[in-house]
Amino acid sequence: MTKRSRSIRFVGALVLVSALAFLAGCGGGGNKSSSGSSGGSNEGKTYPLLRVVWDAPDYMDPALYYTVAAYQLTNYVWEGLVGYKHENGPGGATLVPYLAEKMPTISADGKNYKFTLRDGLKYSNGNAVKASDFRCTIERDFKMDSPGVGFYSDITGVSGSSGYAETKKGHISGIITNDANRTVEIKLDSPRGDFLYILAMEFSHFVPCGTPASDQSTHPIPATGPYMVQSYRPNRSITMVRNPNYNDQIPTMPTGNPDKVEATIITDPVAAYQRVISGQADYDYQPVPTDRLPEAQSKYKEQLRIYTNANTYYYAINNRIPPFNNIQARKAAQMAIDPQAIISGIYGGLGRPTENFLPPGYPQYKKIDAWSFDLAKAKQLVQQSGTAGQTVDVYGPNEDPSKSTTEYLANQLTKIGYKTKLHLLEHSVYFQTIGAQKTRAQAMFTDWYQDYPHPLDWFDVLLNGNRITETHNNNPGNVNVPSVNKEIDALKKISEITPEVNARWAKVDKDLMATYATTIPYMNRSQTDFFGTKMDMSCYVFGVVTFWDFGLSCQK
Amino acid sequence: MATDSSTDLTLDSAAALAADEQGEIEGKSPWLLAWRRLRRNYVALGFLVLFVVIVLLCAFAGTYASQIAHTGPNDNHLGETFTKDGKQVPVVSKGGFTTGGEFVAGGIPVGPQLWHAGGRYVFGADNQGRDVAVRLLYGGRNSLLIGIGSAIFCMVFALLTALLAAYYGGWVDWLISRVYDLIWAFPVLLLAIALGTALSINGFHHLGINLAAGSLWIPTGVIAFVLIPYVGRPLRGQILSLREKEFVEAATAQGASSVRVMVGELLPNIASSALVLFTLIIATNIITEAGLSFLGAGVQPPNPSWGTLIADGQSRIVTAPWLAIIPGIAIVLTVLSLNVFGDGLRDALDPRAKVRAER
Repeated sequence: MTKRSRSIRFVGALVLVSALAFLAGCGGGGNKSSSGSSGGSNEGKTYPLLRVVWDAPDYMDPALYYTVAAYQLTNYVWEGLVGYKHENGPGGATLVPYLAEKMPTISADGKNYKFTLRDGLKYSNGNAVKASDFRCTIERDFKMDSPGVGFYSDITGVSGSSGYAETKKGHISGIITNDANRTVEIKLDSPRGDFLYILAMEFSHFVPCGTPASDQSTHPIPATGPYMVQSYRPNRSITMVRNPNYNDQIPTMPTGNPDKVEATIITDPVAAYQRVISGQADYDYQPVPTDRLPEAQSKYKEQLRIYTNANTYYYAINNRIPPFNNIQARKAAQMAIDPQAIISGIYGGLGRPTENFLPPGYPQYKKIDAWSFDLAKAKQLVQQSGTAGQTVDVYGPNEDPSKSTTEYLANQLTKIGYKTKLHLLEHSVYFQTIGAQKTRAQAMFTDWYQDYPHPLDWFDVLLNGNRITETHNNNPGNVNVPSVNKEIDALKKISEITPEVNARWAKVDKDLMATYATTIPYMNRSQTDFFGTKMDMSCYVFGVVTFWDFGLSCQK
Repeated sequence: MATDSSTDLTLDSAAALAADEQGEIEGKSPWLLAWRRLRRNYVALGFLVLFVVIVLLCAFAGTYASQIAHTGPNDNHLGETFTKDGKQVPVVSKGGFTTGGEFVAGGIPVGPQLWHAGGRYVFGADNQGRDVAVRLLYGGRNSLLIGIGSAIFCMVFALLTALLAAYYGGWVDWLISRVYDLIWAFPVLLLAIALGTALSINGFHHLGINLAAGSLWIPTGVIAFVLIPYVGRPLRGQILSLREKEFVEAATAQGASSVRVMVGELLPNIASSALVLFTLIIATNIITEAGLSFLGAGVQPPNPSWGTLIADGQSRIVTAPWLAIIPGIAIVLTVLSLNVFGDGLRDALDPRAKVRAER
């Protein structure tokens, strides 16, 4: 589970795209922004240098990174066969051909994809981009135990005891390439409607054959996009410059306006904000500190944008062990949490209360209104459950605002009659710790940002009891409702989105959150984009996948 | 380090004492003489009173919390209001999106109310709506417990090892001195952070000792451990010199056992030095604890300490400076009072130092 993880997968029909308007941002950010561009000329808008304050990326290697901090910059560096339109709003979730000259030919059974690469493609080092590089890229992912390998399990020759995932020897039989004809053919064991979106993910972005199967973050891999990484100093800076061999080889994406991007890595939101205010940077990636929001809103309103993307913040409660294997206890915990108090107090108002697991904006979303904050009733339920006085181990990250949110949970559980032990851990080890069954965490802070806009990414990945594991468990609450598991598995096979299917997903949400009270969702968090006075806000473009599109930014 | 000054400590002969002391000393014990000198030092006594007041305030944290502030140190009050001058005021300002989609910033905790809210939020609230004054007193209690507790442990181990090393000499001295060197080789704070961080994750479960991750015994033990050589070394030096004195030879000649010589002869003669060191090292330990807790390697949340309070307040230093400044002042006053009193005590117990100071 990643903080602000955000690679996009998509299962099903494009009807979802229309629902993504929600993701495009909302709130009092200021003026309407421009509509963006999918490519073409940037004449008159280029400028020499963009200085940004950035968060520390996990890696700068497309096989390994899985954070927004890396993706938001490098979606202009490494590209795949297909990619997203660089547009404001729901249009930004539309796939267009990138390195492929057109969208693929897909067989009638949905198991065969054929692409042809554009002619004359080059890496930033001047070498030709070859069709076989795609196969090398995917095989490299497996060799490096990339976090993305699970997305490729349906490619023929990957799964099984003799599959490439197991042996890592030879080649993946389901990827057939021809360098002379520039063709890439991908065969799947079974159809999956989200496969094109998987091909748009960073793990599918082309790297040359022969790229070492080890982290190359500090030895930048040659780029195929408009920019290349000139240098990356972990925890210090990232510098990107124009790719000298780009030559507008991907006409479906913007060429980019800044000639150079200098990203200074500052993880302290206060320092990051101050740097922009003092004119030392043009953009603050970090959220504006809660206590500085009133100032930012009043003094720098034109430079502030607020958006809410698809995320849910929730408390996982361990349904497998006492006290929360008792439904009365789980209901009590639900009623002990006041979402509005958390949002107001800890997040400075930057969030929207929720009782749903699925964020609003999805066509499957149907608002749940099952709980009201009532400590007295919660206490009563705890007494009735016979679990009063039990000790609850509460886990959370040790940095604010997650830390305060976890402390709030522990305190509320204490108020309703439990003894709590608080465990605050480094973010780097937090999710793997709560994802291990031996930790026996009973109540936990956690959040989820969509990998792709489909309910499967929420319910199957996070709450399907059939997918509970001993380690690296994405379902730390061990939510396991057999009837719901069965329904999720049934819905997984349906690629067509219909009102009836949507209603079934909404029922899954309601069953898990209200009927069985398995999990405590409380917030869809909002975030900020804060700019320096040099930036021309009429060029602000926020893509649902790419977030703030720095390539389309311009200066006054 | 406060302990550096302890190397100046000297032993006083009766003749030297008599020469330095104003007034009659005949028939008076060294301790009585020291008290006579100390009570003439009004500055030191004043700061002793200040320290006692701080200790008492912290000792009665529970009473203050239940009778005046009506809240515990870890009780959040998010979403709640309190009465101020007859009006309901939110503990932490409300924020969010209006039905029209307009964003309203919130999350600003109420500032110091002093006496305007009937004893609630005297020093304001933190971002979770917790009463800062209550957390300050409970935090002080934790800081003082750790500071004093670690000073006691440190002193006991340092005395014990220094006595053994200096009295027996030979391989015992070599072994203990090398252990001192080993600990000394690491910067105090770095070693404490490393140990504190490691132990704060899983606790300590060895040698039949089971300490949970959030136990106050962990920072107490860590601080005591890292400071042992800083106390043990000067004490060892003094005992080495005492061991050669005639009274030790006399006791040995009379057939006194090693334990008897160490406990009955040597220990009383370094008691004054140890006492001065003890007061000074409490101050050092309080600062070390604050540093560790600030960095997350000391007292673990939600338990407060002055260090964790400063850490919690630092991100709001611009808009809610009281969150960091108030615990900072508490640390300054406590450490200052201990240091000034410690200096006074040293002057009282070591007249030669006083003579030097007067020159």
